[in-house]
Amino acid sequence: MAIPAGQMMAVGRYLLKQRLARRERYPLVLMLEPLFRCNLSCTGCGKIQYPVQLLRRQLSVAECVSASDECGAPIVSVAGGEPLLHPQIADIARALVDRRRFVYLCTNAILLERKLDEFEPSKYLSFSVHMDGPRAEHDHSVCREGVYDVAVKAIRAALDRGFRVTTNSTLFEGSDPERMRHFFDDMMELGVEGMMVSPGYSYEKAPDQEHFLRRERSHQLFARMLGSPKRSWSFNQSPLFLQFLMGKRDFECTPWGNPTYNIFGWQRPCYLLQDGYAKSFRELMEETDWPSYGRKSGNPRCQDCMVHCGFEPSAVRAAFESPQAMAGTVASMVTGRL
Amino acid sequence: MTEARIAELVDRAFDYRGYVTLRRSDGSELVGFVYDRSAAHLDLLDESATRRTRIPLAEIADIAFTGEDAARKSQEIWERRKGKPEPRETPAHGDWADPGKVLVLVALEHELRSVARALGAARRGSVVRGRLSGGEVVALAVGVGGGARRAVAEEHPRLVVSCGYSGGLDPALRPGDLVLATTVRRAGGDALAAPESPRLAAAAALDGLRFLQGGLVCATSAAASPEDKRALARDGALAVDMESYLVAQAAGEAGVPWLALRAIVDPLDSSLPPFAREARPDYFWPALRYAFSGPRAALRLVRLGRDASRAGAALEAALRRLVPALAAAEAHR
Ligand code: SF4
Ligand code: SF4
Repeated sequence: MAIPAGQMMAVGRYLLKQRLARRERYPLVLMLEPLFRCNLSCTGCGKIQYPVQLLRRQLSVAECVSASDECGAPIVSVAGGEPLLHPQIADIARALVDRRRFVYLCTNAILLERKLDEFEPSKYLSFSVHMDGPRAEHDHSVCREGVYDVAVKAIRAALDRGFRVTTNSTLFEGSDPERMRHFFDDMMELGVEGMMVSPGYSYEKAPDQEHFLRRERSHQLFARMLGSPKRSWSFNQSPLFLQFLMGKRDFECTPWGNPTYNIFGWQRPCYLLQDGYAKSFRELMEETDWPSYGRKSGNPRCQDCMVHCGFEPSAVRAAFESPQAMAGTVASMVTGRL
Repeated sequence: MTEARIAELVDRAFDYRGYVTLRRSDGSELVGFVYDRSAAHLDLLDESATRRTRIPLAEIADIAFTGEDAARKSQEIWERRKGKPEPRETPAHGDWADPGKVLVLVALEHELRSVARALGAARRGSVVRGRLSGGEVVALAVGVGGGARRAVAEEHPRLVVSCGYSGGLDPALRPGDLVLATTVRRAGGDALAAPESPRLAAAAALDGLRFLQGGLVCATSAAASPEDKRALARDGALAVDMESYLVAQAAGEAGVPWLALRAIVDPLDSSLPPFAREARPDYFWPALRYAFSGPRAALRLVRLGRDASRAGAALEAALRRLVPALAAAEAHR
């Protein structure tokens, strides 16, 4: 298990507080999108299709900080777009770290090495580098040659300077489980703290609509890829979520678990679907028609969804709320089995 | 148009990743990006992507899809490119130009020290290179001659800031007060107007510090006595310096926006000691010689030193706020 003990304790304390306050809905990870512009255009990305004026817009440091204060989630995932294109990204990270948020700065790492000087290593800050698989697969997925090598070099540089580094991989139809297993070995050998995996989000606006995984296919792929996991692998994710990907457990999604904030406001209902925006976090929580989302609702857009931002919070919550699930989590952490 | 037709258009507009033109029942038109809608209204961001407007559906007469659809465009690019990845040499910033650096030009080494402190960077000779809020900043001490043109040509900045000390021409200005130039005039000659957008961003960033906005006049020799200064103040300038005009001219010629920000050392009613009337890189020896010329001189020198450090601290505080604010304003354009 890759998540450092201090971070687990802090998140545990937060969860306990929510339980004691008998809160029904509470956030775990703030998905903060300070901008939508990117220096890549990946085939499966549906985040960057906006007119150029909107792509130029970005959240200010103050807006980012107040979103984090408003929401209160202990973890902030800074995504986009490519956050390193934001001229004040280091100030944003610093301000969040000062507030003791665990910051995952999601980046394609093209600009990472040259920007490292602006950041200070901290147990609260981790670069989460976009890595969709081995060299050929990754460069294909991001539609540019050489990006894998640039990212590996940046990861090495960041690790050398004492930064926390994790990877995040999105899998699409056609991913080869065996090659992905080798890729996990390579990443662990590089020295990253942990890895994250997720099936490709079926963004409505992404150019490539054919390669999003359907539920059954996700189960098959993840079961083969993560079956008999090696002891050397560390995932920066809940074991229960990984078991969910493999089809060994089922959850209903928790769309408010990873609320999303960007230049439009608080996105309803979740990171993936855009059914509009709330002006405040409170309005998002209180006035969104939650029963219309998730598999059980029958909403067709939710039927194949297995994205981590909807289901990881369900897994974490389950582990925290049911003794059996907690036992399963601990067993998996101790034995390394999934 | 029927209600059902409007509802359908609103749904399409909400799903559309481009600008639409909305015609109201009173005939007025509005262009914007629809980012939200409900049964009763629609929310738009205007073309500057900053102003939000909420329009009741009842007021909408028609919606036209006038802007390019970014989702369709990305689809087309992808289709065209299928199987052909972008080459390795694609610029690291993609379509987004590297924002470029801010060039801060000062005349004196003493002024450069304030800039170095603001950037938290070391001085190497008469150059300071550093970063502030992710933006690259280069500061050079170019003297009062014509060094600005060469510096602009060599550094290719996105913004030039003329920065340093000046003499107050407005009686309200005290040592350490700041002046943000709206125009810079060559004494007895023409005036250059400061480009508006960086100036407005700068003014917003300086809010809370003691500063005035107005004209600067650039003299060819130091305006040392109250009489000299009153003469210069006649056409309404707030402060006098010796280099901002040349800096603004050099930036203007290169098509680069500029700002001039000065901190007052000597107010209107004070006069500079004789050694400070000439521009030179370092005043240490002349000042020492002056200090030994008598007790009154020594006292004046102490006062001048105190006022210069006030001005230095004011410049430092201003730059700390200015550079990040300008970086943010740039990206909003
Ligand atoms: S997936 Fe990430 S790196 Fe790729 S285009 Fe989208 S925002 Fe950029
Ligand atoms: S199932 Fe997926 S798409 Fe639907 S609300 Fe949950 S997280 Fe969002």
